[in-house]
Amino acid sequence: MSPTAALHSTVFQIYVAITLGLLVFAGLAIAILKWGFKKDMTHPWASYRGWLIMIPLLLLCIFLGRIPTIVFFTAVAVFGFKEFARATGLYEDWGMTGAVYLGIIGVGIVSVVPNPRLDVPGWYGLFSIFPAYVIALILLIPILRNRVKGQLQAIALAVVGFVYIGWMFGHVIFLSNSTHAYGYLMYLLFAVEVNDVAAYTCGKAFGKHPLRSEISPKKTWEGALGALAVSMALPWVLHFSFPHFGVLECILTGLIVGIGGQLGDLSISVIKRDLHIKDMGALMSGHGGILDRLDSLIYVAPLFFHMVRFFHDIY
Amino acid sequence: MEPWEYHCADDLDRSLADRLRQFPRRPDMLVYGGRLAAMALVRTWMRAYHRFRVTGCENLPREGSFVVVANHSSHLDVFTLLMAFPMTKLHRVFPAAAQDYFFVSLPRVAFAAGVVNALPFDRQVGIKHSLGLCTGLLSNPGNVLVIFPEGTRSLDGVMHPFKPGIGLLLAGTPYPVVPCYIEGAHDAWAKGKWIPRPRRVRLFIGTPRVYSELKPGKQSALQITSELEDAVASLAPNGGTKQTRQDGGEETASTKIERK
Repeated sequence: MSPTAALHSTVFQIYVAITLGLLVFAGLAIAILKWGFKKDMTHPWASYRGWLIMIPLLLLCIFLGRIPTIVFFTAVAVFGFKEFARATGLYEDWGMTGAVYLGIIGVGIVSVVPNPRLDVPGWYGLFSIFPAYVIALILLIPILRNRVKGQLQAIALAVVGFVYIGWMFGHVIFLSNSTHAYGYLMYLLFAVEVNDVAAYTCGKAFGKHPLRSEISPKKTWEGALGALAVSMALPWVLHFSFPHFGVLECILTGLIVGIGGQLGDLSISVIKRDLHIKDMGALMSGHGGILDRLDSLIYVAPLFFHMVRFFHDIY
Repeated sequence: MEPWEYHCADDLDRSLADRLRQFPRRPDMLVYGGRLAAMALVRTWMRAYHRFRVTGCENLPREGSFVVVANHSSHLDVFTLLMAFPMTKLHRVFPAAAQDYFFVSLPRVAFAAGVVNALPFDRQVGIKHSLGLCTGLLSNPGNVLVIFPEGTRSLDGVMHPFKPGIGLLLAGTPYPVVPCYIEGAHDAWAKGKWIPRPRRVRLFIGTPRVYSELKPGKQSALQITSELEDAVASLAPNGGTKQTRQDGGEETASTKIERK
């Protein structure tokens, strides 16, 4: 990944055209509904403004190359964990949160440095074992403090925070090292968002049967199945992203995004319901926090990463 | 199994900009880390590019809360004063910054609250409220309040009359006030200029004074304001020409220094 490679990458250019085209289309649709049909577009407009910032920023980082992309996603993970820590109350424990911040930055660093034994970018061996070191560091903190009370809860929250946001999401960071980084990264980001939109749209149009009433009352089986159908079709529609994928990989990609996306959404809902909060943060009006935006991607990224690694390796 | 208790941040639904605008702000590890990193860069810049020197550091009180006042002609002034404190003290030093300028757009809020640790001072309609914030800040031992009593940056580099708010804040209180004089900041980065120039900047720190014996009131405020104005002016190394003028109203003892 580099600016020169991006300028010569058909995959990158097609995704830029698709996303910017969708942005223009959505902007026109909002304008027509607002001024032509006098509809209240306050919420869609707030959401659209968020996309107007997020999409160009993301495309710029990917265009600039591997290291800017890794730095960007690492920063996203740091602020995502900050939301988690503020929501769970862990933020008051500076030792634990500091250890997790260090762990997340460490994931970024091992994604940048080359493997000393192989001439490839990113030290995958260390990346895959990294949670062991971070958990060891987290467990060390109460020992150094010589403190017991409340430490199990703090340790548990810190471990979940690191593994969920630092490491699972870290697979998106590490994908930047792949020889097919543009295809894998941009497909994953695009497909997960399309899956979310499809679930919402199908749920609105046909939804009758609640998917998990205690966790997320508005999600329906109809929405989830509609999203799965769309996600199953996407690998064929966007096959230029990974031309080396056969039928089995395309089916698995569709299943991972279609089912994993919904499970990721429900996972963050479980956390929010238990904490009695609506959103994990208030980063952008209309989007909630970083974790509300990334919930599906966090769940899908490691599954997709290891599916790719099993069939083709990432290099 | 007993359910765990979670103590969610009570400002979870507020955006980052809103959280930075509020005062007093909650301690935040990422903000502290960012501030230390930014100030390390600023310190290197000040020493290398502006050949920064400080005189009189020993005059800063070692314990308790205190106030620092100085002349104001450049955005560099606040960095100059922050250079007088060790990095470990930075999170306890609060420069008062104009709310209508620094606490409006997100980039300025991020800079003022995140990097400088500024206290939002409403200099137009909420002066009493802002003075209350300052008093509350000083009541916590160890905090340092930095104030530029001229109220705004001088356009010509000449020190302008102090506003009496500093007197109202200090009259009858036990908090020491340290007068400081900043030399060269206007030449280095004057108001309206985009790029700082490589000019020498120096900070002179005077001896602290306390106004606990004065009764709070308008007369005491004017006396303190006048004394501090003279104290800051007297620190100027070139012994600049003083011009006393009668403005009438509240600002009766204003002093100007014309630097050569």
